[in-house]
Amino acid sequence: MNDATRQSGTAGTFGCAFLVGLLLTWFASLAGAEPTGSAIPGNHPLTEVQAGELLISELRCAACHAGLDNASVPAPVAPDLTDAGSRIDPEFLRRFLAEPSKAHPGTNMPDLLSSRSEKERDQIAEALTHFLVERAKNYFDSRWKQPADRQEGKRLYHAVGCVACHGFREPLDEPRPAPQPDAADVADEDSDEPAVEKKEFQPIAVSLEHVARKYSVKSLEKFLFQPLAVRSSGRMPDLKLTPAESAAIADYLMGEQPAQAMALTPEEPLVAAGKKYFQELNCAACHRFPGMEAAPRRSVPTGASPSTGCLSNAAGRHPRFSLEPAQIKAMTAALRADRQDDDDQTVIAKSLTAFRCIACHIRDDFGGVPEDYSPFFTTSEKNLGEDGRIPPPLTLLGAKLRPEWLKKVLFDGESVRPYMATRMPQYGTSNLGHLPAIFARADILNGVEMKIPSPESNSETERQRERLLRKGGQELLGDKGVYCVACHNFNGKPAPVNKGIDLMTTYQRLQPGWFNSFVRNPGAFRPRIIMPYSWANGVAAHKTILDGNTDQQIEAIWYYLSLGTSAADPSGIRWSNTKLTVGETARTHRGRSRVAGYRGIAVGLPEKLSYAFNAETGTLSAIWQGDFIGVDWNGQGSGGFNPASEPITLAQDVSFAQLADDNTPWPLLPIMTKEARVNPNPLYPKNVGYQFRGYHLKEASIPTFLYRSGTIEIEDRSTAAGTTDRRVLRRVLQFESPEPQTVWFRALTGEIRQESDGVFVSGRLRLTIPPVETKLRPLAEEPKQSELLLRLRIPQGQSNLELRYEPIPK
Amino acid sequence: MNRFQSDAARFWSGLCPVFLLLVVSVGWGTLRAEEVGDRWGTEEREREYYPIVNIPLPADTVIEAGAFAILPDRVVAVGTRHGEIYLLEGIDAPKPAPTFHLFATGMDEIFGLEWKDGAFYVTQSCELTRVSDSDHDGVADRFETISDNWGYANYHEYAFGSKFDAEGNQYVTLGLSESYNSWALYRGFVMKVSPDGKTTPYASGLRSPAGIGLDEHGALFYVESQGPWNCSCSLKAVSPGSFHGHPASFEWYKYAPELGPVPPTPKSGGRIATEKKRVKPLVPYAIVFPYIRMGRSITAFSVNRTEGKFGPFENQMFLGDFTLSILLRATTEQVNGVWQGACYPFREGLSTGILNVEFTPQGKLLCGGTNRGWPVRGIKPFALERLEWSGKMPFEINRITIRPTGFHVTFTKPVEPETGASPDSYKISAFTHPYHGGYGGPEVDRFQAKVKSVELADDGLSAHITLDKLVEGFVYEFDLAGLRSRDGEELLHRNAYYTVNEIPSP
Repeated sequence: MNDATRQSGTAGTFGCAFLVGLLLTWFASLAGAEPTGSAIPGNHPLTEVQAGELLISELRCAACHAGLDNASVPAPVAPDLTDAGSRIDPEFLRRFLAEPSKAHPGTNMPDLLSSRSEKERDQIAEALTHFLVERAKNYFDSRWKQPADRQEGKRLYHAVGCVACHGFREPLDEPRPAPQPDAADVADEDSDEPAVEKKEFQPIAVSLEHVARKYSVKSLEKFLFQPLAVRSSGRMPDLKLTPAESAAIADYLMGEQPAQAMALTPEEPLVAAGKKYFQELNCAACHRFPGMEAAPRRSVPTGASPSTGCLSNAAGRHPRFSLEPAQIKAMTAALRADRQDDDDQTVIAKSLTAFRCIACHIRDDFGGVPEDYSPFFTTSEKNLGEDGRIPPPLTLLGAKLRPEWLKKVLFDGESVRPYMATRMPQYGTSNLGHLPAIFARADILNGVEMKIPSPESNSETERQRERLLRKGGQELLGDKGVYCVACHNFNGKPAPVNKGIDLMTTYQRLQPGWFNSFVRNPGAFRPRIIMPYSWANGVAAHKTILDGNTDQQIEAIWYYLSLGTSAADPSGIRWSNTKLTVGETARTHRGRSRVAGYRGIAVGLPEKLSYAFNAETGTLSAIWQGDFIGVDWNGQGSGGFNPASEPITLAQDVSFAQLADDNTPWPLLPIMTKEARVNPNPLYPKNVGYQFRGYHLKEASIPTFLYRSGTIEIEDRSTAAGTTDRRVLRRVLQFESPEPQTVWFRALTGEIRQESDGVFVSGRLRLTIPPVETKLRPLAEEPKQSELLLRLRIPQGQSNLELRYEPIPK
Repeated sequence: MNRFQSDAARFWSGLCPVFLLLVVSVGWGTLRAEEVGDRWGTEEREREYYPIVNIPLPADTVIEAGAFAILPDRVVAVGTRHGEIYLLEGIDAPKPAPTFHLFATGMDEIFGLEWKDGAFYVTQSCELTRVSDSDHDGVADRFETISDNWGYANYHEYAFGSKFDAEGNQYVTLGLSESYNSWALYRGFVMKVSPDGKTTPYASGLRSPAGIGLDEHGALFYVESQGPWNCSCSLKAVSPGSFHGHPASFEWYKYAPELGPVPPTPKSGGRIATEKKRVKPLVPYAIVFPYIRMGRSITAFSVNRTEGKFGPFENQMFLGDFTLSILLRATTEQVNGVWQGACYPFREGLSTGILNVEFTPQGKLLCGGTNRGWPVRGIKPFALERLEWSGKMPFEINRITIRPTGFHVTFTKPVEPETGASPDSYKISAFTHPYHGGYGGPEVDRFQAKVKSVELADDGLSAHITLDKLVEGFVYEFDLAGLRSRDGEELLHRNAYYTVNEIPSP
């Protein structure tokens, strides 16, 4: 207790206190690594002083020391400890608090107890643990886990981007592909320019060794799902994992569980002591904690030396950070240097280094995926080459992306490269909020200005030019032009060759000047790009469209893309109907169809037998075998369907009717023509007593249609019968009538011939009916054809009728 | 080939989807491709107050939301253009990763969805259906037709359904067969469907209506699209027998005794303020949304009853626009028995065409839709997005109401007194539209309103504006760019538009 008090006082003297950075990681990567001479790993462009400044900021020196704030990069905030007790294994907490870098090699958390005896350390750590556990919402439970897919976790870990900062944990599943000849290297052989010397750097590799001892699978899953909830400073970003993905990676990282931790029941005296230590050790300087105040900040004492105090690795009353010599040197240099405001490029460089954007992205001559990690950056579109798998360069980013789009990418999780396995993570608006404006200021590209025409211009010349550019743009994009849509999706429709970035995003994302410069010389922006040069040296490869005028062609494409989703597809893109398939149970789809009317319903049975039902009239209107249907969900398509194979079609008029006598004509669907489109009999077939009432899906999801004809309630269900070679649709109509009555059912139309008792054939359909009274009568309009009517005597109560429809092979 | 196939072929002449598809896909872009209009340019500032959060969808699943319903236990149901109902849990989580359960499939374009007593009430193009799960296996198995009492036989005949009113009725808006004609029964009508399924014609004169529902006062409104007899999109107040301007649906009055005699045919080319005196059932547009500046195809609305969770605009209507991928606000009031009110820009930059909006259990605004078929600014083929209030108070015009001599404007934050009390800060002009059968139309008869005086309340939260005159039948356009809040901010959106149908007596 007294020691703690003294420690606190001492800390005050030195102006140092409990510093905990979030940047556990740099140190982790350096721990055990050969000194490289750089204070910060990764291919960063910072000078020694700049690196030192960044370290001072990232290690939160300003939490205790006044005068060290640096506005360039938002300073990290240490992890939120309010619920640490339920997240972290108490045994790990104890060990970690007693000697942070031992429990977690490479942590940013300094050792505040280095001058204490082992007994004292344990005692303080124990008390702090009790305090944190007592404050947590739940107790930690190492068994807390749900089934997860560990193999998937391994795959995700190595695919989504964890490798970029933590390194790989397993060798590649496949042997590494032979290095491809680098277009840029090849070019260099012939040029006079000296080959650029590859810079040696230490890849970032934040250790995860401690993770299995620190978390439970579930608490790690929670953390991975929303890292910013606990670590708001975004140095561990949100990789847009789903809960299932987080669980899989957590399960993978945890591996086989160690022996179960004993649950810790906080003991009141220890809780009280822990609270006191928390205050005395000034934990609140870095960790926001309810009810705890940070101590006032002190300035760095004049004459502070790297061999004593916070920067030294010696045991003492100061926080001990276990710094590498290069880091001590850089921080010392930074402290001694004249403080200057960073210019925009420096702020960008520091930010990209602090948030490790450089682990994936190149900007100018720094950053980029280290060779060892590169094979883990994969793509589903291998033919897009390096640009399909490696995140895009950030060179001239501020001139490339529209500011509003950059914000969508940085803060809303927007992404346009679905083929790239590595994800662009989210760092939080409060951490990267400064960047868009700085990029916009720092990155200037003097591209060619494009003249975008206006279709509503008052000038006829301008309107004419608009039409010309629109036509030219459409042609150029398509397969008769430079065929951009061969390798770029267009408005959600997949490209036939490679499925590159959807061109519809172009105008929303890119600035016109950058676009113009880029398409003229893609290789200048991306040395290994596979995109062909269509205007090499400013000369259009395509000579006929827009007279081969380069400026106009590029303007035309840009203009066409600016039209957005309203523009017609360029030639070379196909739409296709969505094929609905039938699995082990039946499938029902409502929509308009030529074979079933607007209130059509298609039913696919697992036996590869399908039929259509016109619900407007209560009529089985088509039967087909083979695949189910194609549905039109393209463009304005409202889900209309077409049978996937040629159907046998039947009449679509109402099926049941009361007739005055057997000469009364059948009530037919009203006919609308192009000249007379108003329905002349709009109440049909409700005016002949028909009302559709819906359907139930019963066993195997087969629908039973419900409808009414007059006072008869009808249930209508069709199932597949017969054998595989000879499929039959067995239709059972069940009636419920309040009284005995007669009703007519029109069973068949067309050129009908009777094969035998109760068996009739019309076209490709054989119909079998039970023994009931029938009437086969010619159609008034087409005497060669006839209709088969069944006169049904419906008793009171329930009765039924079974019909069999058999398709006849051609 | 039998006779009936040829009949069917006639019935379908010109209507076969394949044929239409060709016409549409070839014709659309070449004839109609257009830039959808200028942006407000406020997106970057709006995001500070109302960030848009993408709701991740399951992989390889197309979810084109057309309607939403809120179930007990914070489950949100999404009805889709593909005719499915998905149940989502966890939509309100800080980082949303909701579960999607496919509850029902196989319906025909869902543009109305409500949940009551263990069943969904689904408005599909073909009918209003009660959908339920009788064997409790988590998947719908009963699809009971409540009403199919309308014609459905032409390409463009959409149906949008309301939630329940206090008596348990639902209302369905039936779009015309195409912009100018009504070829099938009741197209261009609002139908009222009572709890027992009884379906009666309720109002007429619709063109291409979209969402229908109750406003903050419990009054029934529907959204109308720009087109013939409608120079802009608008909100229209529906009452029994009301006529909403497009005479094509007069065809069906002979089947609609509830609506009384056929109204006189409106004269094309006049003004609605004069025609409404001659054509008695004609109800003027309650709120005009000036074309392009305030949407190009507004689809649906939801009333904010989040008790402050969604910020300052309690009880206001929030509307989605398909073409511009934006959200708007609207407020209504009744003057001399006639509904009117104001509309306000709210948020731009959504990712797809908005077909519907709904407040979530925790007071966030769920938006969804598609971008296919018509020009849409948002480039995603489909998306679900969630708008939430960041907790930061934007400086906005909150609500405009009319007074006998001018308007009362409230603000979300105190207005700084110098700009707030100066008439020069209140630029108000007015225009009207021709009322005509042509497609769309200009803003005409524009004049600058003279602001005689402004009284800014002591708390700076409201201003009373006195004009030299108010004219019925005009849309008053407010530009308050000169105002500053007490902390020196500019208005997030400087414009608002009030439609004056009636002027209250002093």
